[in-house]
Amino acid sequence: MKKFFALGLVRGLSWEIIGTALGIGFVTLVRLLIGLPAWKAEPAVVFGALLGALFFLVGVGAVDDWFKWAVGRETGEHFDDSHPGWRRYFGASLDHKVIGIQYLVLSLILMSVGGLFALIFRTELAEVQMQFLTLNQYNTLMSLHGMVMIVSILLGIAAYMNYLVPLLIGARDMAFPRLNAFSFWIAVPAGLILLSSLFLGGFDTGWTGYPPLSARAPLGMQMFFLGVSLAGFSSIFGGLNILATVIRLRAPGMTPFKMPIFVWAALATSLISLTATQLIGLSFQMVMLQRLFGMGFFDPAKGGNPVLFQHLFWFYSHPAVYVFVLPGLGLISELLPVFVRKPLFGYRWVAMSSLGIALVGFLVWGHHMFTSGMAEYLRVPFMYSTLLVAVPTGVKFFSWVGTVWRGKITFETPMLFLLASIVVFLLGGLTGPPNATVSTDLHLHDTYYIVGHFHDTMFGGYIFPFFAALYFWFPKMTGKRLNERLGQLQFWLITPSFVVLSLWMMRVGLLGMRRRIADYDAALGFEASHLVMTVAGFLIGLSLIVFFINVWYSLKKGPPAIGNLWNSRSPEWQVASPMPVHNYDQPFEVVGEPYDYGLPGSQYIRFKGEK
Amino acid sequence: MPASPEKSSALRMGLLIFLGLAVLTALEFAMAILLAFWQLLLLVSLFKAGLVLYYYMHVSRLFEADQDADHESYAYRLATNRIGLWLFLVSDAFIFGGLLISRINLLGLTRPELNQVLGLSVTSVLLISSFFMNRAETAMAHGDRRQFIRGIGVTLFLGMLFLAGVVGVEWQIAAFGPGDGVAGAIFYAMTGFHAFHVLTGVIFLMVVLRNGLRGRYSVEKHWAVEACAVYWHFVDVVWIFFYPALYLIGTVL
Repeated sequence: MKKFFALGLVRGLSWEIIGTALGIGFVTLVRLLIGLPAWKAEPAVVFGALLGALFFLVGVGAVDDWFKWAVGRETGEHFDDSHPGWRRYFGASLDHKVIGIQYLVLSLILMSVGGLFALIFRTELAEVQMQFLTLNQYNTLMSLHGMVMIVSILLGIAAYMNYLVPLLIGARDMAFPRLNAFSFWIAVPAGLILLSSLFLGGFDTGWTGYPPLSARAPLGMQMFFLGVSLAGFSSIFGGLNILATVIRLRAPGMTPFKMPIFVWAALATSLISLTATQLIGLSFQMVMLQRLFGMGFFDPAKGGNPVLFQHLFWFYSHPAVYVFVLPGLGLISELLPVFVRKPLFGYRWVAMSSLGIALVGFLVWGHHMFTSGMAEYLRVPFMYSTLLVAVPTGVKFFSWVGTVWRGKITFETPMLFLLASIVVFLLGGLTGPPNATVSTDLHLHDTYYIVGHFHDTMFGGYIFPFFAALYFWFPKMTGKRLNERLGQLQFWLITPSFVVLSLWMMRVGLLGMRRRIADYDAALGFEASHLVMTVAGFLIGLSLIVFFINVWYSLKKGPPAIGNLWNSRSPEWQVASPMPVHNYDQPFEVVGEPYDYGLPGSQYIRFKGEK
Repeated sequence: MPASPEKSSALRMGLLIFLGLAVLTALEFAMAILLAFWQLLLLVSLFKAGLVLYYYMHVSRLFEADQDADHESYAYRLATNRIGLWLFLVSDAFIFGGLLISRINLLGLTRPELNQVLGLSVTSVLLISSFFMNRAETAMAHGDRRQFIRGIGVTLFLGMLFLAGVVGVEWQIAAFGPGDGVAGAIFYAMTGFHAFHVLTGVIFLMVVLRNGLRGRYSVEKHWAVEACAVYWHFVDVVWIFFYPALYLIGTVL
């Protein structure tokens, strides 16, 4: 029992409860003292949740060292590692590999929660009329599915960037390990606050939270805004850390064009999350202020402008989709050469295409607002800038095709997921231009077609590469290889059912099914299609269960993974698995090109003291 | 201790930049009354921000080549810390940029009615505090602890004075509250976000003052002092844009 309370996570959660109670009490007391009616739920709960999140960080120990610095004490390079074994994953640690795995686990938990939400409202949609959900419950689940999945994706990419970037560039750790721990741990209360909206009246705006609807939604709306704002800090500081690490801590000889492609992708992603994330935070905080203090930014009755919210919101939320997919696309380029035993086709172009997508991505946000009533002359420029994104994305596809071309392909589970991600992302990419084009978007806007397109890009750009990378690096993280047969089973469960799901989404969308709607008219004839989608959704859920069984089984019974399992040229595979605590005992130097698979005599890195 | 030539020239430069900024601020104020020409005000603000970025925040230090290739050495880590701090400031600038964009979108060429004397006073207080912050940092870099402590103390006092002026006076005497119309909303949001940053800067200054009094900084190792100075000047740069945006451009609503 004592050991249980010594876990950082448990301590943090207890502190969070105390902090929340204190915050609620404080607001109530202040209101009492200045003569207002003592109890008003909204300010009390918002302040309580905020204070609870800060208390969590103190309780878990993520900010200990900063307090020590403030009083002028020196600190060691790592926290005292009093928790060996699995316990260290449940408390604050400064090791980027531990933090990476913490991110990964939290991301998988949130992915399961978000997926569960989807299955619940998907079941409701399978038949016309409402069966077991109220309209408010449907709206809350549908909205939370969106945002919980987005947070899960942000944590998932942070997991890979944290775990891999220092390993790939030969650094001992991230540039700012304490900030790294902070970035992870703030995501935990953020997730809790976000989910607490379920129990505080829910909300009904979808994940976008547009005012004026969000300005008068139930209290759950505030928890949604606060949770996302806090998760934003995780993303901002994570991006900052990656940028500083890549700029400063590369191994000798690793010039920009000898960096692995995944590092380029992480760089491009971090540029977006460092800068643009502030604006979704700002837009959400402005609605929070409007609700708390009546500040009328988005209230037309007070001279405010609701469309301003959409501009601020999409200035982040469009580039955000590149935050979600760029690391995944980088992983495809990173892993494809390993399984086809050929050099990556057009390395420099692929490296620059990530940056290109990131930069063009800043100029396209208006394409979400073609029907919003923004100035009409803005539509065409935003249409063209959006279509321009296809150019760097096309570069990536060209490179993948060129890489696979005449390669000696082997079809292990990671490779299957890679190939599926290329196909699915292509589907998502080709269904994009109709939405970018003003004339067709006016018809497609807010239909299920958009939902289908978006899920294609997310699965192709994130989910499939995520699993490919997990099957690939799981042995590096744990020393055990995931079971191949269960992996193939998962793959063959998820891929066909997902393709069916997304194609049917687009089908009903083209026929006029609105997105975010809890019910539809039987006369539209969508019932059979919705049943197909629901069944497909459950098969995807089943595939995840197979995956979790695989993880459990492989950790328990799997044979140890020894040596360079995939015959990769990457430095992390040249040393023992799982990775030693301080990464490389011998620093390495980059002496060649990263992806020269199949070229006799070529060498990428050389460890010190080695010929 | 006799001042070294480098130190006195650094101090002189700090004074010169301060005088330049003061003259430009006065010019801004005069221009707003006489010309009401926002493009000129923008130009002057950009020029002022450039001066602070270059001479007070030492942006060029980011591009200095590394003296030491060992990733674990103090010099190398110092340069990494600088990059980290500046990345944070870039990120933070996007919040303030977003607020400015919102202000332009919602108010256009109108502004809320505010007390001009008070506005000019708090602006001057922040500007003078930046001058003393620069003096304190220069003193530390040349090992003059007394002047360093004095400078930090004065900066801290002026920072609190600024907070008192904005939150304690301006917010109380303004003819509108945050809920009264969009001009009030944007005014309280912009000054509020900025005041929050000043408050964190004041806390940072307190920490530096405390550790400085205990002699924890040396000529070679005083990253906390430098970071505090850069952050404080950043907050000043934000105000360089917020002051004209709230007090000077356009016509009163």
